Amino acid sequence: MFLSIFLASHCVAAEHPAALKIGVLAPLSGPYAAGGTSFVQAATLAIEQANAEGGVFGRRVAIVVGDTQGRVDVAKTEALRLISLEKVSALVGAYLSEETVGVMEVAAAQRTVLLVPVAATAEITDKIRREYTRYRYVFRVGYSLPQWAEMIAAFLSDRKVRRYAFIGAGIRWNLELGETLERIVAPRGITQAYTAFYSPGNPAFDTVAVAAAAASPDIVILADPGRNSVSFVKRLRESAPKLPVLSVGGALGDARLADSIPLSAPFYVQAAAWRGVSAAATAYVERYEHRYGAPPVGYSDTLPYDAVMVLIAAWRKAGSAATEAVVPVLERGAFPGVAGTYRFDGAHQAQWGTAPGTLQGTFVRWERGGARIVFPLR
Amino acid sequence: MASPLPQVLLDGLFAGGTYALMAAGMALILGVVKVINLSHGAFFTLGAYVAYALAERGIGNPIAAAPIAAVIAFAFGVFLGKSFVNPVRSHPFALPVGTLACALLFEQAAQRIWGPHPLSIEAGAPWIGPGGLVLRRWGVVAFLSSAALLGGLKWVLSARPGLPLRLIAEDEEIAGSLGMDVEAIRYLTFGGACAMAAAAGALLSTSGAVTPTMGRAPLLLSLVVVIVAGMDSVAAIFLLSIGLGIFGNACAWLLSPQWSYVSLLAAVCLLLSARPAGIVALAGRRD
Repeated sequence: MFLSIFLASHCVAAEHPAALKIGVLAPLSGPYAAGGTSFVQAATLAIEQANAEGGVFGRRVAIVVGDTQGRVDVAKTEALRLISLEKVSALVGAYLSEETVGVMEVAAAQRTVLLVPVAATAEITDKIRREYTRYRYVFRVGYSLPQWAEMIAAFLSDRKVRRYAFIGAGIRWNLELGETLERIVAPRGITQAYTAFYSPGNPAFDTVAVAAAAASPDIVILADPGRNSVSFVKRLRESAPKLPVLSVGGALGDARLADSIPLSAPFYVQAAAWRGVSAAATAYVERYEHRYGAPPVGYSDTLPYDAVMVLIAAWRKAGSAATEAVVPVLERGAFPGVAGTYRFDGAHQAQWGTAPGTLQGTFVRWERGGARIVFPLR
Repeated sequence: MASPLPQVLLDGLFAGGTYALMAAGMALILGVVKVINLSHGAFFTLGAYVAYALAERGIGNPIAAAPIAAVIAFAFGVFLGKSFVNPVRSHPFALPVGTLACALLFEQAAQRIWGPHPLSIEAGAPWIGPGGLVLRRWGVVAFLSSAALLGGLKWVLSARPGLPLRLIAEDEEIAGSLGMDVEAIRYLTFGGACAMAAAAGALLSTSGAVTPTMGRAPLLLSLVVVIVAGMDSVAAIFLLSIGLGIFGNACAWLLSPQWSYVSLLAAVCLLLSARPAGIVALAGRRD
């Protein structure tokens, strides 16, 4: 009898081998829960897509989620839990730059592949460049800040902007983007008319909006991924209804929020991809909308979706989920995603930018009833 | 071009109005029920979500949403006051922890019901005042409502209907010996304060984004205002709120937006170190 039970269970195991697990690190509670939820939703959609295509080596793929709460210590603990207890084969995450730098250390120590979808700080690729052997398991799918700034510079030139105001929450991502953008646009003759970073705790939106309007820029660039961006744009529209605004990703890509913002002047959003950019992007947006009842924002969801798809494609190409087999494949391969085809450079940075063959992102302008792609026109 | 400073100061006045609006309910709880209610911000959030739910159904006016939010919050507040606050209020540390837990539970519930994504209600165009000054609708509403609420509270506390509240605030035992139902008055007061927080949330719902955690910042600021002003003077609470609003905006303008909050809290620390019992308590109660 014992033998028959053993054989039966063995047969079941052979028919349904254990799923390959991907650890997803994102803040599902706290102030960044909105972005974190989109992150996990998109990763779930990618897994469903992969399983619908037959999984990987005949095995199903599953995600195990770690809630980072937007805190570095929690992100590191969760990364370790996912690797050592949940036995995930690779990690995707985290959300904030600070969290991701912490998780990098865990991934390096545990020799686990980490795909970084959203965090854009230069510290990530700097570390890989300086200590390749230690950090060679880390790949950034999302853009780096210089790449993102280069795309913004191209957009500003296209709109014939000469002076801009740069405003954001006083977090690392924004501070670095502001400095990088100023450096990159200077050769194009574009200057910064006003800059301010508000405290996320008590943001003093009114004063910043009044000061930004008083500086008479051609456009206000808003770098804030969270809920404060909504409050700020409302204040700015009250103070200067004719001043164009560009939100560099984040919550304002959400159609439900954009509907409440007066469209008395152009209101642009920068995204990794958007409906209509490509067949893959349109299919993704429709699947996302069908699954979750609202369209994606094109940033904190699209990049995690692509990160999971890149990882699965690399596993398939390598014929294994083992770290040592996957790393060389990621280094040399090309991986199609919603935003375009991903290729990694020597610092394991996906090649975003304005050059041909790179991932270019997109700029949309909100209008009544939806958004229209305005740059780059394809 | 005219100096933007008058606009900055006017916006400070409106910001102060929002602090006062939240502080009105907090003053009632601290003054009469004598507990630190860390779920006060959750009721503010509840009010904002009620306004959003109504806006989704075509009722986009926050002034219409405020009484509905107040009624719902009053019912929840009475329940919380009766079932939790009254039984444990004699344990000073249990109540802040318990009400904080209630606030976190509410945040999780709000995230379940409405999702974690920010929601937003159209604010409507601002009014333009003399000299091109922008009168933000929500700011005007916050300023006038806080003045009305705190004025009403002052009147209630000084007139005959407020006698039981004053007596309970002074000495519960004497109030009980006079036949007053102290327990009932306490939980009804708690419910009333929660209703005021929800009305504030509804009235301010158009000013920014509606999220499950939106009540945290107003909770802290209202607590600060009530403690620094002292719970005895409603007028001091109003004036201090306005003062802090203007001071915060002036610091943001003259120093940096990042220094606004720090300067505001530094000013609060200075005031507290000079007058630990509240600015009014020491000024007028040396007897």
